[in-house]
Amino acid sequence: MKQANSPFALQTLVGAGVLLIGAGLAFGALSIPSEAGYAGVGPNFLPWLVAAVLALCGVLIVREALTGGFRELEQDTGDSPAPYWPGFIWVSAGLLANAALITTIGFILSCTLCFMLAVQGLRRASGQNAMQPAVLVKDLITGFLIAAPVFWMFTQFLAINLPGLTTTGWL
Amino acid sequence: MDIWNQLLQGFIIAGTPVNLMWALIGCALGTAIGVLPGIGPAVAVAMLLPITAKVEATASMIFFAGIYYGAMYGGSTTSILLNTPGETASMVTAMEGNKMAKSGRAGAALATAAIGSFVAGTIATVLVTLFAPIMAEYAVKLGPPEYFMLMVLAFTTVSAVLGKSTLRGMTALFLGLAVGLVGMDQISGQARYTGGVPELLDGVEIVLVAVGLFAVAECLYAVLYEGKVKESQNKMSRVTMTRRDWKRSIPAWLRGTAIGFPFGTIPAGGTEIPTFLSYAAEKKLVKNVEDEAEFGTTGAIEGVAGPEAANNATVTAALIPLLTLGIPTSNTTAILLGAFQNYGIQPGPQLFTTSSSLVWALIASLYIGNVMLLVLNLPMVGLWVKLLKIPKPQLYAGILIFATVGAYGMRQSAFDLFLLYAIGVLGVLMRRFDFPTAPVVIGMILGPLAEAQLRNAMSIGEGSARVFFERPMSLTLIIVVLAVLVLPRVAKAMSQRKRANLPA
Repeated sequence: MKQANSPFALQTLVGAGVLLIGAGLAFGALSIPSEAGYAGVGPNFLPWLVAAVLALCGVLIVREALTGGFRELEQDTGDSPAPYWPGFIWVSAGLLANAALITTIGFILSCTLCFMLAVQGLRRASGQNAMQPAVLVKDLITGFLIAAPVFWMFTQFLAINLPGLTTTGWL
Repeated sequence: MDIWNQLLQGFIIAGTPVNLMWALIGCALGTAIGVLPGIGPAVAVAMLLPITAKVEATASMIFFAGIYYGAMYGGSTTSILLNTPGETASMVTAMEGNKMAKSGRAGAALATAAIGSFVAGTIATVLVTLFAPIMAEYAVKLGPPEYFMLMVLAFTTVSAVLGKSTLRGMTALFLGLAVGLVGMDQISGQARYTGGVPELLDGVEIVLVAVGLFAVAECLYAVLYEGKVKESQNKMSRVTMTRRDWKRSIPAWLRGTAIGFPFGTIPAGGTEIPTFLSYAAEKKLVKNVEDEAEFGTTGAIEGVAGPEAANNATVTAALIPLLTLGIPTSNTTAILLGAFQNYGIQPGPQLFTTSSSLVWALIASLYIGNVMLLVLNLPMVGLWVKLLKIPKPQLYAGILIFATVGAYGMRQSAFDLFLLYAIGVLGVLMRRFDFPTAPVVIGMILGPLAEAQLRNAMSIGEGSARVFFERPMSLTLIIVVLAVLVLPRVAKAMSQRKRANLPA
C-alpha cells in the first residue's frame, strides 16, 4: 500500500467515498416528489436529510484524516499485519463463481466449488501448502459433504427453492 | 390472574412436540453458533430467515429465540477456553474466565457461567412475564411523536454513545438509513432509489445486509488479516463448583441480573455497558482479601459469574422493547423484528392483543429454553468444546455455503449473491477503518418505521414540528436524547480537567 507519502491517504479516501455516497443520494432525491399532504414533510424529506448528513460525515471524516488520522482508533489497527491479497482473491473468486454458476450447475456443485476456492485462500493465508492432491481431494469431499446435506435439508424439509443441476431435487 | 392464564396457554402451545423440537434445535444450534468463532446469533438468524416462508410463525419465533439465547450460553465457553476475545458480550467474561482456565479451573468457570446464565435468564424471563404486558398497556397510549422520539433515542445510543467515535457511528447509522430508503415509500407508495429495478421495489433484503456484513465480511477479513494469528486453547477440567465457588457465585449472579435487566429494557442497546458495570461492581464489592487477590491473577469466579448473569439478563430484557414497542436495541433483536415483519406482524403494543398466543408461546419457550440450555451446557459441555477443534479455513469456507443459502433462499436471485459479495467487501472496509456495523442494521430496519412515525406525527401537528415539544412525553424524550448526547462529553471533559489539575 502506498501509505508512505501520506500516512492517512486511505482514510481520506474513505471519507471521500462517504461524501460521494451523500452526493449520490442527493442526486437521487432530486427525482423524488415532495407532495407532503398534511404532514409538511413528504417522501423526499428523509432522503434529503440522509444525503446531507452523510455528506457532512464525509467532510468531517476527510478532515479527521487530514488532521492526524481517525480519532480513537483501536490500537491494533495501526500496526495490523499487511493484508494478504492472494487469499482475498481466492475467496472472492469462490464467492463470485458461486454467484455466476449457481443457476446453471446447481447449488451443490456451485457451493462445493466456492468452498474449494475459498479454502485455498484461507489455507494459504495461514501458511499451509494447499495445492497438494491429497488436500484438494479432502477439500472437495468436505465441501460436498457440507453443501449436499444443506441442500437436501432446505429443499426437502423446509421447501425452500434452491437451484439444482437436475430437477430430481437431489443434485 | 390474567397473566397466569395466558402464560399457561403459552406453555400449552410451546409444549407441543413440534414446538419443543424447534426449541431444542434452536438451543442446540444457538449453542454451537455461540461456541464457533466467526459467526454470531444475528447472522445465524439472518441466514435462516428464508424459513419464514414455510414454517409457521410461532414455531419459527421459538426457534429463533432458541438461537438467540443459546448463543449467549455458548459464547462464554469460547471466551473461557480460547485465548482470543470473541464477541463483545463475552469479552468481560474472558478477562477472569481465561485466567481461571489458565490456572486449571476451566470447569468451575464454565459451570458458573452456565448456571449464572440460567439463573439470570430465568429471573429475567419472570420479569418479562410480569412487566411486558404492563408496558404494552402503557405503550398503547403513546402516539407517533413519542414513538418517533423513542426511535431517535435508540438511534442516538446505538450510534453516538456506544461506539468509540460518534462520527463513525453516525456515518454507519446513516448508511443504514440510506439502505432502508430503497424501495417503496410506506406512506405515499412512491418508489425511491430503485433505479427502475423491479426487485428493489420491495427494498433491500435484511438477510443480504446482515449476512454480507457479518458472515462474508468476517471470512474476507480473516483471510486478509488473521491468517497468521495463532490460537491456543486452555485445558478443560471437571465441570463442578466447590462450596466456596457457590458461595461466591450466587450473590454475583443476583447482582449481575439486577444490573443487566434494566439495561435491556431501555433502548440503549448492547451488553457492553452492563457486563462491564457488573465486573466493576464485583471487583469493588469483594471483601475477602484472598478472593480479592484472585482478580487479574488466577481468576476470580465472581468476575465470570456477575458479567455472565448481567449479559443474559440484558439479552432477555431486550425482548421487552422489541415486543411491546417494536424497537430493537441490538443486531439480533433487529433481525428478530425482521422475522416478525416477514409474517406481516408488527411488534408493538398491539402485539399482546392481536398475536397474544404467539407472544405467550414465545415467552413460555424462554422458560423451557433456559432449562434445555442448562442441560445442553453443563453435562454436555465437552461436546461443544470439540467444535473449537474445527480448523479455521474449513470453518470460514463452510460459513460461506450457509451464507449462500440465506441470501439465495430469500428471493431465488443470483443477482443477490453478487450484491452479497459487494456488501461483504463494504463490511471489510468498515471493519478495517473501525466503523461499527450494528448501527447499519438497526438504521436499515428501524429507519422506515421511524420515517412513518415522523410523518404521522407531523400530520397530527398539521405540518408543524411543534407537536414534538407540546406533548409532555415527547418533550421528555427529547430532553433524554439531548442528555444522552451531552452528558458523556461533559463527564469526559471534567475528568480530563481533573487529571490535568492533579499533577499541579
